[in-house]
Amino acid sequence: MNPHSHSHPDFGTAPKKLSIYLIGFICCILLTLLSFWVVMIGTLSKGLTFTVIYSSACIQFLVQVICFLRLNTQTEQSRTNVMSFIFTIVILIAIIIGSLWIMRNVNANLMI
Amino acid sequence: MQSNSLTETMHHAEADSNDVFGFWLYILTDCILFATLFATYLVLNYSNPMQSIQLKQYADLHDVLTETFLLLASNFTFCLSILNIYQKKVLKTQFWLILTFILGAGFIFMEVSEFIHFAQEGFRWDVIAHASSFFTLVGTHGLHVSFGLLWILTMIIQLPFIKAQHIAIRRMTYLGLFWNFLDIVWIFVFTIVYLLGAI
Repeated sequence: MNPHSHSHPDFGTAPKKLSIYLIGFICCILLTLLSFWVVMIGTLSKGLTFTVIYSSACIQFLVQVICFLRLNTQTEQSRTNVMSFIFTIVILIAIIIGSLWIMRNVNANLMI
Repeated sequence: MQSNSLTETMHHAEADSNDVFGFWLYILTDCILFATLFATYLVLNYSNPMQSIQLKQYADLHDVLTETFLLLASNFTFCLSILNIYQKKVLKTQFWLILTFILGAGFIFMEVSEFIHFAQEGFRWDVIAHASSFFTLVGTHGLHVSFGLLWILTMIIQLPFIKAQHIAIRRMTYLGLFWNFLDIVWIFVFTIVYLLGAI
Protein backbone atom coordinates (compact mmCIF):
# COMPACT_ATOMS: atom_id res chain seq x y z
CA MET A 1 0.00 0.00 0.00
CA ASN A 2 1.45 3.34 -0.95
CA PRO A 3 1.01 5.76 1.98
CA HIS A 4 1.67 8.71 -0.30
CA SER A 5 -1.59 8.22 -2.15
CA HIS A 6 -3.52 8.58 1.12
CA SER A 7 -1.94 11.84 2.18
CA HIS A 8 -2.76 13.25 -1.25
CA PRO A 9 -6.25 12.09 -2.23
CA ASP A 10 -6.92 12.68 -5.90
CA PHE A 11 -10.73 12.19 -5.97
CA GLY A 12 -10.69 10.33 -9.26
CA THR A 13 -8.71 13.06 -10.98
CA ALA A 14 -5.18 12.59 -12.25
CA PRO A 15 -2.20 14.08 -10.34
CA LYS A 16 -1.92 17.87 -10.44
CA LYS A 17 1.17 19.14 -12.17
CA LEU A 18 2.07 22.69 -13.07
CA SER A 19 3.57 21.60 -16.40
CA ILE A 20 0.29 20.01 -17.55
CA TYR A 21 -1.69 23.10 -16.56
CA LEU A 22 0.75 25.32 -18.43
CA ILE A 23 0.55 23.17 -21.58
CA GLY A 24 -3.25 23.25 -21.39
CA PHE A 25 -3.32 27.00 -20.84
CA ILE A 26 -1.01 27.76 -23.78
CA CYS A 27 -2.90 25.37 -26.10
CA CYS A 28 -6.20 27.02 -25.17
CA ILE A 29 -4.81 30.53 -25.81
CA LEU A 30 -3.49 29.51 -29.23
CA LEU A 31 -6.71 27.76 -30.26
CA THR A 32 -8.88 30.66 -29.08
CA LEU A 33 -6.73 33.14 -31.00
CA LEU A 34 -6.90 30.92 -34.09
CA SER A 35 -10.71 30.81 -33.98
CA PHE A 36 -11.11 34.57 -33.53
CA TRP A 37 -8.40 35.40 -36.08
CA VAL A 38 -10.01 33.23 -38.77
CA VAL A 39 -13.39 34.92 -38.28
CA MET A 40 -12.01 38.44 -37.91
CA ILE A 41 -9.91 38.51 -41.10
CA GLY A 42 -12.85 37.00 -42.97
CA THR A 43 -10.90 36.20 -46.14
CA LEU A 44 -11.33 32.42 -45.98
CA SER A 45 -14.31 30.78 -47.63
CA LYS A 46 -17.35 30.11 -45.47
CA GLY A 47 -16.95 26.34 -45.45
CA LEU A 48 -13.29 26.53 -44.49
CA THR A 49 -14.03 28.99 -41.67
CA PHE A 50 -16.73 26.66 -40.31
CA THR A 51 -14.31 23.73 -40.39
CA VAL A 52 -11.53 25.66 -38.66
CA ILE A 53 -13.62 27.08 -35.81
CA TYR A 54 -15.51 23.83 -35.19
CA SER A 55 -12.36 21.72 -35.10
CA SER A 56 -10.58 24.33 -32.97
CA ALA A 57 -13.48 24.25 -30.47
CA CYS A 58 -13.44 20.44 -30.36
CA ILE A 59 -9.66 20.29 -29.83
CA GLN A 60 -9.87 22.96 -27.13
CA PHE A 61 -12.66 20.97 -25.48
CA LEU A 62 -10.45 17.86 -25.37
CA VAL A 63 -7.46 19.87 -24.13
CA GLN A 64 -9.50 21.34 -21.27
CA VAL A 65 -11.01 17.97 -20.34
CA ILE A 66 -7.60 16.30 -20.23
CA CYS A 67 -5.44 19.11 -18.83
CA PHE A 68 -7.83 20.94 -16.50
CA LEU A 69 -10.58 18.47 -15.54
CA ARG A 70 -7.84 15.79 -15.49
CA LEU A 71 -10.15 13.06 -16.79
CA ASN A 72 -8.25 9.79 -17.11
CA THR A 73 -8.62 6.03 -17.08
CA GLN A 74 -6.06 5.08 -14.44
CA THR A 75 -8.33 4.03 -11.55
CA GLU A 76 -11.71 2.35 -11.25
CA GLN A 77 -13.25 5.63 -10.06
CA SER A 78 -11.94 7.71 -12.93
CA ARG A 79 -13.06 5.06 -15.43
CA THR A 80 -16.59 5.40 -14.06
CA ASN A 81 -16.28 9.16 -14.54
CA VAL A 82 -15.22 8.69 -18.15
CA MET A 83 -18.10 6.27 -18.79
CA SER A 84 -20.71 8.72 -17.46
CA PHE A 85 -19.01 11.49 -19.40
CA ILE A 86 -19.25 9.58 -22.68
CA PHE A 87 -22.87 8.71 -21.95
CA THR A 88 -23.64 12.41 -21.44
CA ILE A 89 -21.99 13.29 -24.74
CA VAL A 90 -24.25 10.76 -26.49
CA ILE A 91 -27.29 12.41 -24.89
CA LEU A 92 -26.04 15.87 -25.89
CA ILE A 93 -25.58 14.82 -29.50
CA ALA A 94 -29.07 13.26 -29.52
CA ILE A 95 -30.62 16.47 -28.16
CA ILE A 96 -28.80 18.93 -30.41
CA ILE A 97 -28.62 17.02 -33.70
CA GLY A 98 -32.12 15.63 -33.15
CA SER A 99 -33.64 19.08 -32.58
CA LEU A 100 -31.90 20.57 -35.58
CA TRP A 101 -32.88 17.67 -37.82
CA ILE A 102 -36.55 17.63 -36.82
CA MET A 103 -36.95 21.39 -36.92
CA ARG A 104 -35.29 21.59 -40.31
CA ASN A 105 -37.80 19.06 -41.69
CA VAL A 106 -40.69 20.91 -40.10
CA ASN A 107 -39.40 24.15 -41.53
CA ALA A 108 -39.02 22.69 -45.03
CA ASN A 109 -42.50 21.17 -44.95
CA LEU A 110 -44.15 24.37 -43.77
CA MET A 111 -42.48 26.73 -46.24
CA ILE A 112 -44.79 26.74 -49.21
CA MET B 1 -4.38 -0.72 15.41
CA GLN B 2 -2.44 -0.21 12.24
CA SER B 3 -4.82 -2.23 10.11
CA ASN B 4 -7.80 -0.58 11.81
CA SER B 5 -6.68 2.93 10.84
CA LEU B 6 -5.88 1.71 7.35
CA THR B 7 -9.41 0.37 6.91
CA GLU B 8 -10.71 3.70 8.15
CA THR B 9 -8.61 5.61 5.62
CA MET B 10 -9.78 3.34 2.86
CA HIS B 11 -13.37 3.82 3.96
CA HIS B 12 -12.82 7.58 3.85
CA ALA B 13 -11.36 7.34 0.37
CA GLU B 14 -14.36 5.33 -0.82
CA ALA B 15 -16.87 7.80 0.67
CA ASP B 16 -14.95 10.64 -0.97
CA SER B 17 -14.93 9.06 -4.38
CA ASN B 18 -18.69 8.48 -4.10
CA ASP B 19 -19.13 12.12 -3.15
CA VAL B 20 -17.08 13.40 -6.04
CA PHE B 21 -18.89 11.07 -8.41
CA GLY B 22 -22.18 12.57 -7.26
CA PHE B 23 -20.88 16.06 -7.94
CA TRP B 24 -19.60 14.91 -11.32
CA LEU B 25 -23.09 13.63 -12.17
CA TYR B 26 -24.54 17.02 -11.21
CA ILE B 27 -22.14 18.68 -13.67
CA LEU B 28 -23.15 16.25 -16.40
CA THR B 29 -26.84 17.02 -15.86
CA ASP B 30 -25.93 20.69 -16.08
CA CYS B 31 -24.38 19.85 -19.47
CA ILE B 32 -27.78 18.53 -20.57
CA LEU B 33 -29.41 21.79 -19.46
CA PHE B 34 -26.95 23.71 -21.60
CA ALA B 35 -27.48 21.31 -24.51
CA THR B 36 -31.20 22.05 -24.57
CA LEU B 37 -30.48 25.79 -24.51
CA PHE B 38 -27.95 25.41 -27.34
CA ALA B 39 -30.46 23.37 -29.34
CA THR B 40 -33.11 26.07 -28.86
CA TYR B 41 -30.66 28.77 -29.88
CA LEU B 42 -29.53 26.90 -33.00
CA VAL B 43 -33.08 26.10 -34.10
CA LEU B 44 -34.32 29.66 -33.63
CA ASN B 45 -31.23 31.15 -35.20
CA TYR B 46 -30.65 29.03 -38.29
CA SER B 47 -34.10 27.92 -39.29
CA ASN B 48 -34.80 31.50 -40.31
CA PRO B 49 -31.69 33.22 -41.65
CA MET B 50 -33.55 36.18 -43.13
CA GLN B 51 -34.18 37.91 -39.83
CA SER B 52 -34.01 41.69 -39.75
CA ILE B 53 -32.30 41.78 -36.35
CA GLN B 54 -29.09 39.77 -36.14
CA LEU B 55 -26.49 39.41 -33.45
CA LYS B 56 -23.58 40.43 -35.69
CA GLN B 57 -24.92 43.97 -36.06
CA TYR B 58 -24.46 44.47 -32.33
CA ALA B 59 -21.73 42.14 -31.06
CA ASP B 60 -18.14 43.32 -30.87
CA LEU B 61 -15.78 40.35 -31.27
CA HIS B 62 -12.93 42.16 -29.48
CA ASP B 63 -15.03 42.33 -26.32
CA VAL B 64 -15.86 38.63 -26.64
CA LEU B 65 -12.16 37.82 -27.05
CA THR B 66 -11.35 39.79 -23.87
CA GLU B 67 -14.11 37.94 -21.99
CA THR B 68 -12.76 34.61 -23.21
CA PHE B 69 -9.27 35.42 -21.99
CA LEU B 70 -10.57 36.63 -18.63
CA LEU B 71 -12.35 33.33 -18.09
CA LEU B 72 -9.41 31.27 -19.36
CA ALA B 73 -6.96 33.14 -17.13
CA SER B 74 -9.24 32.71 -14.11
CA ASN B 75 -9.33 29.00 -14.88
CA PHE B 76 -5.53 28.88 -14.87
CA THR B 77 -5.17 30.87 -11.63
CA PHE B 78 -7.65 28.46 -10.05
CA CYS B 79 -5.41 25.55 -11.09
CA LEU B 80 -2.50 27.34 -9.39
CA SER B 81 -4.52 27.64 -6.18
CA ILE B 82 -5.32 23.92 -6.35
CA LEU B 83 -1.60 23.19 -6.62
CA ASN B 84 -1.01 25.34 -3.51
CA ILE B 85 -3.70 23.69 -1.42
CA TYR B 86 -2.03 20.33 -2.07
CA GLN B 87 1.17 21.84 -0.64
CA LYS B 88 -0.79 23.13 2.39
CA LYS B 89 -0.03 26.78 1.65
CA VAL B 90 -3.29 28.42 2.70
CA LEU B 91 -2.21 32.02 2.16
CA LYS B 92 -0.97 31.41 -1.38
CA THR B 93 -4.14 29.46 -2.15
CA GLN B 94 -6.18 32.42 -0.97
CA PHE B 95 -4.10 34.80 -3.07
CA TRP B 96 -4.72 32.82 -6.28
CA LEU B 97 -8.39 32.42 -5.36
CA ILE B 98 -8.72 36.19 -4.98
CA LEU B 99 -7.10 36.64 -8.40
CA THR B 100 -9.54 34.06 -9.81
CA PHE B 101 -12.40 35.99 -8.25
CA ILE B 102 -11.24 39.30 -9.75
CA LEU B 103 -10.87 37.79 -13.24
CA GLY B 104 -14.27 36.10 -13.00
CA ALA B 105 -15.86 39.32 -11.75
CA GLY B 106 -14.31 41.14 -14.71
CA PHE B 107 -15.91 38.59 -17.03
CA ILE B 108 -19.35 39.09 -15.44
CA PHE B 109 -18.95 42.87 -15.50
CA MET B 110 -18.12 42.84 -19.24
CA GLU B 111 -20.98 40.48 -19.99
CA VAL B 112 -23.56 42.53 -18.10
CA SER B 113 -22.43 45.79 -19.70
CA GLU B 114 -22.57 44.04 -23.09
CA PHE B 115 -26.16 42.92 -22.38
CA ILE B 116 -27.15 46.46 -21.38
CA HIS B 117 -25.52 47.81 -24.54
CA PHE B 118 -27.42 45.25 -26.69
CA ALA B 119 -30.72 46.13 -25.03
CA GLN B 120 -30.18 49.85 -25.57
CA GLU B 121 -29.32 49.31 -29.23
CA GLY B 122 -32.52 47.35 -29.81
CA PHE B 123 -31.37 43.72 -29.58
CA ARG B 124 -33.87 42.94 -26.85
CA TRP B 125 -35.24 39.69 -25.47
CA ASP B 126 -38.86 40.80 -25.99
CA VAL B 127 -38.42 41.79 -29.65
CA ILE B 128 -37.50 38.57 -31.45
CA ALA B 129 -37.27 34.87 -30.54
CA HIS B 130 -33.64 34.68 -31.66
CA ALA B 131 -32.60 37.40 -29.18
CA SER B 132 -34.67 35.75 -26.48
CA SER B 133 -32.84 32.45 -26.89
CA PHE B 134 -29.51 34.31 -26.98
CA PHE B 135 -30.15 35.98 -23.65
CA THR B 136 -31.39 32.73 -22.11
CA LEU B 137 -28.31 30.77 -23.18
CA VAL B 138 -25.62 33.34 -22.41
CA GLY B 139 -27.50 34.55 -19.33
CA THR B 140 -27.71 31.04 -17.89
CA HIS B 141 -23.98 30.69 -18.33
CA GLY B 142 -23.44 34.08 -16.70
CA LEU B 143 -25.66 33.08 -13.79
CA HIS B 144 -23.59 29.93 -13.29
CA VAL B 145 -20.41 32.01 -13.28
CA SER B 146 -21.95 34.40 -10.73
CA PHE B 147 -22.76 31.51 -8.41
CA GLY B 148 -19.24 30.21 -8.96
CA LEU B 149 -17.93 33.61 -7.85
CA LEU B 150 -20.07 33.44 -4.71
CA TRP B 151 -18.64 30.00 -4.05
CA ILE B 152 -15.06 31.23 -4.54
CA LEU B 153 -15.73 34.05 -2.08
CA THR B 154 -17.09 31.56 0.47
CA MET B 155 -14.00 29.41 -0.10
CA ILE B 156 -11.60 32.32 0.50
CA ILE B 157 -13.32 33.12 3.79
CA GLN B 158 -13.64 29.56 5.10
CA LEU B 159 -10.17 28.27 4.09
CA PRO B 160 -8.32 29.49 7.24
CA PHE B 161 -11.04 27.96 9.43
CA ILE B 162 -10.96 24.48 7.91
CA LYS B 163 -8.53 22.64 10.10
CA ALA B 164 -8.75 19.33 8.27
CA GLN B 165 -6.61 19.53 5.19
CA HIS B 166 -8.54 16.67 3.67
CA ILE B 167 -11.88 18.50 3.64
CA ALA B 168 -10.28 21.63 2.22
CA ILE B 169 -8.84 19.69 -0.71
CA ARG B 170 -12.18 17.98 -1.32
CA ARG B 171 -14.09 21.25 -1.41
CA MET B 172 -11.49 22.81 -3.68
CA THR B 173 -11.81 19.82 -6.01
CA TYR B 174 -15.57 20.36 -6.31
CA LEU B 175 -15.11 24.04 -6.95
CA GLY B 176 -12.41 23.27 -9.52
CA LEU B 177 -14.66 20.86 -11.42
CA PHE B 178 -17.42 23.45 -11.47
CA TRP B 179 -15.19 26.32 -12.56
CA ASN B 180 -13.46 24.34 -15.33
CA PHE B 181 -16.84 23.11 -16.53
CA LEU B 182 -18.01 26.72 -16.94
CA ASP B 183 -14.98 27.50 -19.07
CA ILE B 184 -15.69 24.46 -21.24
CA VAL B 185 -19.27 25.63 -21.78
CA TRP B 186 -17.93 29.06 -22.70
CA ILE B 187 -15.81 27.53 -25.53
CA PHE B 188 -19.04 26.44 -27.19
CA VAL B 189 -20.82 29.70 -26.38
CA PHE B 190 -18.23 31.83 -28.14
CA THR B 191 -17.85 29.41 -31.05
CA ILE B 192 -21.52 28.74 -31.75
CA VAL B 193 -23.09 32.03 -30.67
CA TYR B 194 -20.55 34.74 -31.39
CA LEU B 195 -18.22 33.35 -34.07
CA LEU B 196 -20.86 31.55 -36.16
CA GLY B 197 -23.09 34.58 -35.76
CA ALA B 198 -20.36 36.85 -37.09
CA ILE B 199 -19.52 34.87 -40.24
